[in-house]
Amino acid sequence: MKEKIIAYLKEEISSEPLDDIDINEDLLGSGIVDSLGMMRLVVFLEKEFQKKIGPEDMTVENFKTVQSISDYLTQ
Amino acid sequence: MIYNLAQLVAKSASLFPEKDAFRCLDDSITYKELDTRTNQLAAYLIGAGLQKGDRVAIYMNRCLETCIAVHGILKAGGAFVAINPFSPLERTMTIMKDCDIAFLLSTPSQMRKIKAIAKAANFLNTIIGVSEIEGTNTITWEDISSLPLDDYNPPEILGKDLSSILYTSGSTGIPKGIMHTHYSSLSLAKLEVKLHDSTHEDRIGNFAPLHFDQSLFGYFSGPLVGATTVIFPDAYVRLPKSLSALVAKEQITLWFSVPLILTQVLLNGDIDDHDFSSLRWVRFGGEVFPVKQLRELMQKWPHAKFINSYGPSELFRCTYYILEEPPETDDPIPLGTVWGNTEYKILDENDREVTKGIPGELVVRTDTLMIGYWNNQQLTEQSFYKEHVASGYDYVFYRTGDLVVENENNEIMFLGRIDRQIKLRGYRVELDEIEATLLKHEGIEEAAVIVVEKADENKELEAVVRLSKGAEVSTRDLMLFCKKIIPSYAVPEHMTIIEDFPRTGTGKIDRNEILKLLETKVV
Repeated sequence: MKEKIIAYLKEEISSEPLDDIDINEDLLGSGIVDSLGMMRLVVFLEKEFQKKIGPEDMTVENFKTVQSISDYLTQ
Repeated sequence: MIYNLAQLVAKSASLFPEKDAFRCLDDSITYKELDTRTNQLAAYLIGAGLQKGDRVAIYMNRCLETCIAVHGILKAGGAFVAINPFSPLERTMTIMKDCDIAFLLSTPSQMRKIKAIAKAANFLNTIIGVSEIEGTNTITWEDISSLPLDDYNPPEILGKDLSSILYTSGSTGIPKGIMHTHYSSLSLAKLEVKLHDSTHEDRIGNFAPLHFDQSLFGYFSGPLVGATTVIFPDAYVRLPKSLSALVAKEQITLWFSVPLILTQVLLNGDIDDHDFSSLRWVRFGGEVFPVKQLRELMQKWPHAKFINSYGPSELFRCTYYILEEPPETDDPIPLGTVWGNTEYKILDENDREVTKGIPGELVVRTDTLMIGYWNNQQLTEQSFYKEHVASGYDYVFYRTGDLVVENENNEIMFLGRIDRQIKLRGYRVELDEIEATLLKHEGIEEAAVIVVEKADENKELEAVVRLSKGAEVSTRDLMLFCKKIIPSYAVPEHMTIIEDFPRTGTGKIDRNEILKLLETKVV
């Protein structure tokens, strides 16, 4: 799951080529994901992992890092 | 007497030494600590060769160290240049070369991009805030905080000295650097304190990044009165549910942001589940607040006073309009009237004052006016309207480029731009700049960038391009090309390749016609 998320972030979201993304890297603070990127990421996650992501789940705890996204999706 | 920005922290440190000056999540710094740590940074910079007036780059996301960076640079006599760390490398390089940056302040969270900068910018003397970059001098924040202050000898700083350069997009595609002084920035802080009656008991919500001048409210007016400024990290600003919980927890009393952040909190912030009773003032600016949502928010927060605050970065702010009650109609909210030590005129295209009720360009004369654009005397002259008063003395007004009209209550109403600059989620975007960028692509012959109004009053950028003969380019290629050159907020959301443009009688691209095509989805 984490690999899939990282691959999507690298290929579709980041505006600059990235070597790798650490699973504990702050996605918004480092600039990898901006607000438009966030919306696209949510659409991707819903489709790829068959989970409805409501606005009530859009929190820093759930979306700060690749690790937290993965924890949230598998909970 | 306070006459420069470098005095602010020292003053509050003597009055409120143990009080939190800045907070960011679990990090906080008292005025006493901030005074010491900014002295240490200033001592380091001076020791490393910084001369008064030198420009120093701040390349940081929203974090606690930003307050040490800003006030440390100012104490050393330098001028800070806040660069958006999420901008493309090429833009960062253009800015650093334009104003001769030798010192860059950053943080480990930007390491990835700092490495690329270090490789490309061999003119840098030292990168502060990170460690271990091959071929470049570095020093960490921790190392700076253990420097001795025995030989610290700060320079004398005058009101007219340069304090910052703020880069904003220019219509030619080259960013322009707005130069502010200690005097203009301190004047802003004093006017903001007066507007809100701020005191040391206030807690300021700082939502804007440093490269956006709304942030100066927290960084300067806070220390002027000894208030606590709370810096909201990037992730919180983008996730309204977390943002509103944190605003409530931090008991923010003074709020200043773009309308978008407020509408996000209203729509997705579980606003009824939190206690916002501390809020005294909610100030918004940067773009137009949709009246329906403003009304709804005011009804949720009846205890807070709301203000519309307007002004281009060249003079920070100049007008304000206080809303006593939620607006009854959906008529646009006025820009209001000018605040202290500020006057204005409304001019026609021949620079003659219009009669009341006739639209014209707003020109403003104020203490918070910039001294000009860095390295661009010509552009500076063009941006000023001068009224000759006496031999060798002019009143200098800034031409805002905003089309306004004065209503019967002597309030200024915003009508639009006289050029092609627009506001998108609070950012200034020059449509000409985006078109100039697209035309740099070898496969593009002609380009037009259009603003399309979407439902719920959102605006989106759409680019329509005509390719050179035989060029094989996809819209995705063009998107990636733009992302390398211009900030992501200015990259069009949609691109369309067409055979030929609708044209006016003289053969020019007919943008109105394209807009109609886009709205009806014909292309």
